[in-house]
Amino acid sequence: MAEAEYHKLHALIVDDFDSFRVTVSNMLQDIGIQFIDSAVNGADALRHCKNKSYDLILCDHNLGKGKTGQQVLEDLRENGHLNRYALFVLISAESSKSIIMAAYDYEPDAYLTKPITTKALQQRLGRLFAQRARMLPIMQAMDDERWEIAEALCLREIKDSGRYANQCQKFLGQLYILTGHYEKAETVYRDVLDVRQLDWAQVGMARVKKLQGDLVSAQQWLEDVMSTNPLCMKAYDLQAEIYREQPLHKRLQDVLQQAVEISPLSILRQQQLGDIAMMNNDAETAANAYRRTVRLGENSYYDRLENHTGFARATLALFREDKILAKPLLREALKTMAELEQRFSKTPEEKVETQLIESQLLASNGEAKKAEELLQNARNLSANIEALPIDTEVELVRAYTATGQKNMADELTRSLLERYKGSERDLEKLDALLEEPASEKNRSLVASINKKGIACYESQDYDAAIQCFKDALQTFPNHIGIRLNLVQALVDKLKLDVDAASMDLAIDTLAQIDDKIVPTHDQYRRFRQLQDMLRNLDNNRRR
Amino acid sequence: MIDDNDMTSAKDTPLDFAFVLASSVHDMKNSLGMLLNTLATMMEKSPPQDAEQTRTYAVLEYEAARINSELVQLLSLYRMQHEHLLVQIDEHHVIDVLEEQLARNDMLFRTRGIHLQLDCDEDLSWYFDGELIGGVINNILVNCARYCRSTLLVSAKIIDNKLCIAIADDGQGYPASMLAAPHEINAGVSFSSGSTNLGLLFAHRVAALHRSREQQGYIQLANQGPLGGGVFQLWLP
Repeated sequence: MAEAEYHKLHALIVDDFDSFRVTVSNMLQDIGIQFIDSAVNGADALRHCKNKSYDLILCDHNLGKGKTGQQVLEDLRENGHLNRYALFVLISAESSKSIIMAAYDYEPDAYLTKPITTKALQQRLGRLFAQRARMLPIMQAMDDERWEIAEALCLREIKDSGRYANQCQKFLGQLYILTGHYEKAETVYRDVLDVRQLDWAQVGMARVKKLQGDLVSAQQWLEDVMSTNPLCMKAYDLQAEIYREQPLHKRLQDVLQQAVEISPLSILRQQQLGDIAMMNNDAETAANAYRRTVRLGENSYYDRLENHTGFARATLALFREDKILAKPLLREALKTMAELEQRFSKTPEEKVETQLIESQLLASNGEAKKAEELLQNARNLSANIEALPIDTEVELVRAYTATGQKNMADELTRSLLERYKGSERDLEKLDALLEEPASEKNRSLVASINKKGIACYESQDYDAAIQCFKDALQTFPNHIGIRLNLVQALVDKLKLDVDAASMDLAIDTLAQIDDKIVPTHDQYRRFRQLQDMLRNLDNNRRR
Repeated sequence: MIDDNDMTSAKDTPLDFAFVLASSVHDMKNSLGMLLNTLATMMEKSPPQDAEQTRTYAVLEYEAARINSELVQLLSLYRMQHEHLLVQIDEHHVIDVLEEQLARNDMLFRTRGIHLQLDCDEDLSWYFDGELIGGVINNILVNCARYCRSTLLVSAKIIDNKLCIAIADDGQGYPASMLAAPHEINAGVSFSSGSTNLGLLFAHRVAALHRSREQQGYIQLANQGPLGGGVFQLWLP
């Protein structure tokens, strides 16, 4: 940008240090910028941007309490208070790499590393503004969908092979993808890749292949990128997109787990991981992922009520499976629920639901009296609501169970089954409460897994049978029949050769059945028989 | 009531060194920035009156620049070891990276009366990790500011399909032990003389992290360079 034009610009400096703001402000004045505002923290910066449109924002990453510079950027982009063509420069004292990894969801236009000198700042801003000025017509043409103009502008820059040729190749690839010219996009990326393996072009190829329906090639491209550049988050995101669409739930969870390990500060990926792990009945992974979304959400635009309730639900699911593993999370989940009051305003339905969840947490934490009070509160509140959503009804059943009101739980379950009879999707949700599933889908699923497990058992492949029943229990944790099948397979395995792990699993599994089974149950006799057999095996081992 | 969980976490969790390091560096760099800027303001308001004051200013500038480049290296080397630092290769205009490091040390060169020559095509671009390479160049520049007499030549060109960034000075040249094995940290470390040779180790490591196809980056030291003194070369495939 010609220096003469700096005087028109409006700049905002965001830093919690007075002296730094003054210093940078002086530097900008030296360069010729006249309109300079400053903000002391994230909230202050957001206020400024709401009232005024800036051309340049210089924002420190570490702003003390409250939002980080990155979170300021996310908020500005999401709430639309940042001019699309403004420059956002993130300043940090450390090497910016760790911040880059976290920063993925919205990237700043540039990073500056402290200490900053006037001359370096001047050069950097000069370059950034020159680039922005040159790219602006292309960006605007793309935004306005004037594709032919954008294409012509890109092609001209590429032909001149000047400074911005590379950037224009990126634009051009995107443009061809957006307009459905996949073969042209492929040519652009191939031209780039002929010269050098660049990750954005590899990911671009993968996207093209996916859009052409060639998922195998898309996967191959993505695996290539990940092996050479494991930090390329765009590759993980595209892979997740592919698995989500197929859908391949297990693989989706795997790739998200890899991604959050590399870039743990991305709240959106943690949220996706929580969702898919919950769907996969992996309560432990879900609880940990949601727990991080709650922590990361503290100052984030992406803080959501669902992250908090998700954490509590996953913790409860884990508690039903494994009390010891869940115990350390219970208190944090309770704290999370207690904080909801200040962080979110809720509809009456949401209030009922959160109270029911909190009631279960209290009961699990041994605070029976409080749990009952809260459950009563929720019931009073729900009296004014015409019909509770089915998810909330499920929580009500669980709250009854957690507070020891088994009859109420059973009665409500029966009436829900009656009410939702014939609605397959609702029945699937109720299946989580039942010993045996009510929905067609889950009935046939349970039957097929059971059949497979029994076949393995009969051919004396006990390990395969055990695995099969264990998998089934992930999906149908209340199914006493499957649980007994698991014990039976374990007992037969132990008869051949006693190993401690199998013995422990068998003892635990029987204990879980013991919690639920009543003497009138039609498998009660079988349960007692297996108990005796196991006791004998265990005694023999000790002797 | 005693909180079991919190008790154990307070007692058993080892000090998170990465965290301590990162936050200290953050503070140090803030202070250093203030120091440098105050120094610049001071020199502007009261320019040196005699040769002795000029020397004093030069020492202040040099030492501040050294602290900065040491901090950058320290963090990067720590990360190489503990966080599996991975290079983020991107296309950069070489002149941007060179100019940025020269601008960063502008005051240092001025107070030392060093004349700079830059020989690099405006449009020359190459693929490397801008931050790491910037750190290497910064370190070599600060080092050269001490050992050169009056002129530094920074140049960049493509030779045999590799980018060669060279920093030549008109000083006495590199000692023989360093020429032989520039990156052998033990050869150069001498805590008593204050020379750790860490800079060259860092440069060597960073260069080696740059790979393309079958090739790997490397550094070279030579004497009797274009300005008669030493020359440092960084080769990137």
